[in-house]
Amino acid sequence: MTPIINIEKLRVTFGKGDEEVTAVKDVSFSINPGETVCIVGESGSGKSVTSLSLMRLVEFGGGTIVDGRMTLAGENGAIDLAQADADTMRDIRGDEMGMIFQEPMTSLNPVFTIERQLTDGLRVHRGLTGQAATKRALQLLKEVRIPEPERRLKQYPHELSGGMRQRVVIAIAMACHPRLLIADEPTTALDVTIQAEILALINQLKRETGMAVMFITHDMAVVAQIADRVVVMYRGDVVEEGPVEEIFANPKAEYTKALLAAVPRLGEMRGKAAPEPLRLVGDTVPPKPITPRETPELLLEVRNLTTYFPVKGGPLRRHVANVHAVEDVSFTLNKGETLSLVGESGCGKSSCGRSILRLVEPTSGSAILDRKDVLAASHRDLRILRRDMQMIFQDPFASLNPYMRLSAQVAEPLRNFDLARGLELQDRVAALFDRVELPRAYMRRFPHELSGGQRQRIAIARALSVSPKLIIADEAVSALDVSVQAQVLNLMMELQADLGLSFLFISHDMAVVERVSHNVAVMYLGRIVEIGPRAAVFENPQHSYTKSLMLAVPIADPRDRKQIGDLNFKPIPSPMHPLSYTPEPSRYETVGPGHLVLREG
Amino acid sequence: MAYIINRVLSVLLTLFLISVITFAVTNILPGDVAMMIMGTQSNPEALAGLRESLGLNDPLIVQYGRWIGGLLTGDWGHSLVFREPIAPLIAQKVVASGVIVVMSMTIALLFAIPLGVWAAIHRDRWQDSTASTSALVGVSLPDFFWGIMLILLFARALGWFPSSGFVHPADDLLGAIRHAFLPSLALGLGLMAHLTRMTRSTMIGILQQEFIRVARAKGLAEREVVWSYGLRNAIGPVLTVAGLQVGYLFGSIIVVESLFNYTGMGWLTYQALLNRDIPLIQSSVFVIAAVVMLTNLLVDLLYVVIDPRIRLS
Repeated sequence: MTPIINIEKLRVTFGKGDEEVTAVKDVSFSINPGETVCIVGESGSGKSVTSLSLMRLVEFGGGTIVDGRMTLAGENGAIDLAQADADTMRDIRGDEMGMIFQEPMTSLNPVFTIERQLTDGLRVHRGLTGQAATKRALQLLKEVRIPEPERRLKQYPHELSGGMRQRVVIAIAMACHPRLLIADEPTTALDVTIQAEILALINQLKRETGMAVMFITHDMAVVAQIADRVVVMYRGDVVEEGPVEEIFANPKAEYTKALLAAVPRLGEMRGKAAPEPLRLVGDTVPPKPITPRETPELLLEVRNLTTYFPVKGGPLRRHVANVHAVEDVSFTLNKGETLSLVGESGCGKSSCGRSILRLVEPTSGSAILDRKDVLAASHRDLRILRRDMQMIFQDPFASLNPYMRLSAQVAEPLRNFDLARGLELQDRVAALFDRVELPRAYMRRFPHELSGGQRQRIAIARALSVSPKLIIADEAVSALDVSVQAQVLNLMMELQADLGLSFLFISHDMAVVERVSHNVAVMYLGRIVEIGPRAAVFENPQHSYTKSLMLAVPIADPRDRKQIGDLNFKPIPSPMHPLSYTPEPSRYETVGPGHLVLREG
Repeated sequence: MAYIINRVLSVLLTLFLISVITFAVTNILPGDVAMMIMGTQSNPEALAGLRESLGLNDPLIVQYGRWIGGLLTGDWGHSLVFREPIAPLIAQKVVASGVIVVMSMTIALLFAIPLGVWAAIHRDRWQDSTASTSALVGVSLPDFFWGIMLILLFARALGWFPSSGFVHPADDLLGAIRHAFLPSLALGLGLMAHLTRMTRSTMIGILQQEFIRVARAKGLAEREVVWSYGLRNAIGPVLTVAGLQVGYLFGSIIVVESLFNYTGMGWLTYQALLNRDIPLIQSSVFVIAAVVMLTNLLVDLLYVVIDPRIRLS
């Protein structure tokens, strides 16, 4: 079979002279008709640059294809895309090859209608305008299974949800029946249920049209779900290539092995009593489980926590409605244990964490930390209480001050509470750097000199500095590459074992949650719909939402693929209600020891 | 709709605050209208009589009420310097200045937008450095410098345009444009420099957005990507800045109108300040503020056309 695209010895650089950086060093692989090839790698591996080079879009971002061939097979002979001129490339883009991108929220032009954006490609490649173009646009929206397609044509992007926008972007790429669809992390920014639907859609479109798919991702679980063949990239080179089953069952390259070891897989904690660190490549001792204390000791008790955000409207900006972000949430957290809040975006998990720290002011309820009610505390008392509870945020780039040395940032909480001065302060900061396994030489550095994972270690050191009892980790590992994520997760678990810390671990990632938690609370529309010991919630989910969430999570095993028939997710209703709305209190049913399920209906 | 009502209400509120401030400030300033009218050597009894008849002995709130009532009904009082009714006087000068403001803004936008886009698409190359450096020079030099240079070149050396005077557009449209051209250009150059920089930075931001990549991935020509996909998104912020610059223009016309001996609002306000013509100061300051507010309201309303997110929210 002649491959649709054959890439040979591709080399791409950015910048000139002394500042030249080689993003893709020597990449060769091919894609056959009707085949899905996943390009997998971590940030900086060159996977996106490779895909942008294929579309010759890399030049717009300052890249240069310095060497190699990219042969596109066609009816009238083959074309080397690396040598093609601008006009030829314009004819190929959107016609022979379509591309979808990571961010559905920014992939569509905010000031043009969906119809206009769908018909652009039809106009330039097929000469279709007016009625004929509208007809085809409508047909495309139906193909990507958007509800109410007629209405969508006249709408603007901001009127559509993230999942719908990604469907529109797919429809744009599919407009002229491309032979190759390039998808660059198309589900990374989406919630897990929507990710499952988009993956199923791409698979289905591939079957219906026979097109080939080049799928770029960092997520091994997505690879397992969608790939026929896998190309593993690392620092600009292909390190391994092979059929998906082969890569997962029998990885050859050291890097692939390390990558696979770092991926938490849903279901692999089955039968284990307590969370335990991941066993990474190079670890000689098996990881120790983090068993809770013999006699549980209560640290945090949250009762009926409710947080509303006011919605202003009308000419006088009056308070017209409330967003019910957190609705009657209650849970307890013991010393030395981890409770995870898990759910999709907008479910209230972050607002819940922030309400407990009072970074946002809750509407009602109580949060008793070591016998003191945080929510009732005066501002002076709150400051002292916050010593006992620290937070780690998602974005390690935004949560550190770019103008402050790292040692000063770690020392800041100690200075704030006047816990140490002079030499003692220096010693304690140095010890914290040791604790998070960063060289002491980094103390004099600034945040931009560190990688994302190293910055997150600084954020952890900063949180640890005042010896808190509780750490609220809000998506603390979500922005990190898998191998770095595994190291940071292991570090957090080690710290818990050594220092007896309690974590309120907020995450959307079910596999990570399964790995780190003693107890799990699943949130939906501001409420906890199911809470209980990790094994109970993961192995015996009772609430319909928990079940559909579990169903949607991609599993890092190509033998365990989702069928499209499994997927039937209801869209999440709006959490916004008029002022007159009085919500029902959350009522639970006990289905097992400590395992509570919200009554439905 | 709520957006429009909101904007209009906030403009009305601001105008009210401006009227209070102008009234208060001119009353706090030293000087006495009656004394201005009759001269410092006038006899105290006549002065007191005039004060009484002008209502200057009434409480401030009553005086303010009378002034604002007059403003609304078209009775703006008499100018002390020009010894004529203020309303028609200001009406004529507003037209004069309006011609320069509109012309300078047109010149500025006409050049700034293409230049800014051009600099943005050639970011960090010679085209960009040329455009950015000249824009920086334009921003740094004061308007009167350009005024003098333009007079020397176009009026003295080439003799293409008159260097001073004002012609009402109703009398002779071409003459009005010819007379307004040099002052408009003097104002427009600085403005153009500012708007070029604004267009450039906004476009650079827009061109890095993912939807631009999507547009290219569809196979659209670069011309359409930049001028349709890009510029449609950049035009809103540029117009907002242009609207705010109208306020700055009214500050600059005081100098430029004097330089070109162009009798517009700037010139009138200057005369009023110079002669402590308090009724005229109050009215002209209020009118300038109102014009600036209304221009910005206009830009806000234009947003409704440009950006569907505002139209539909």
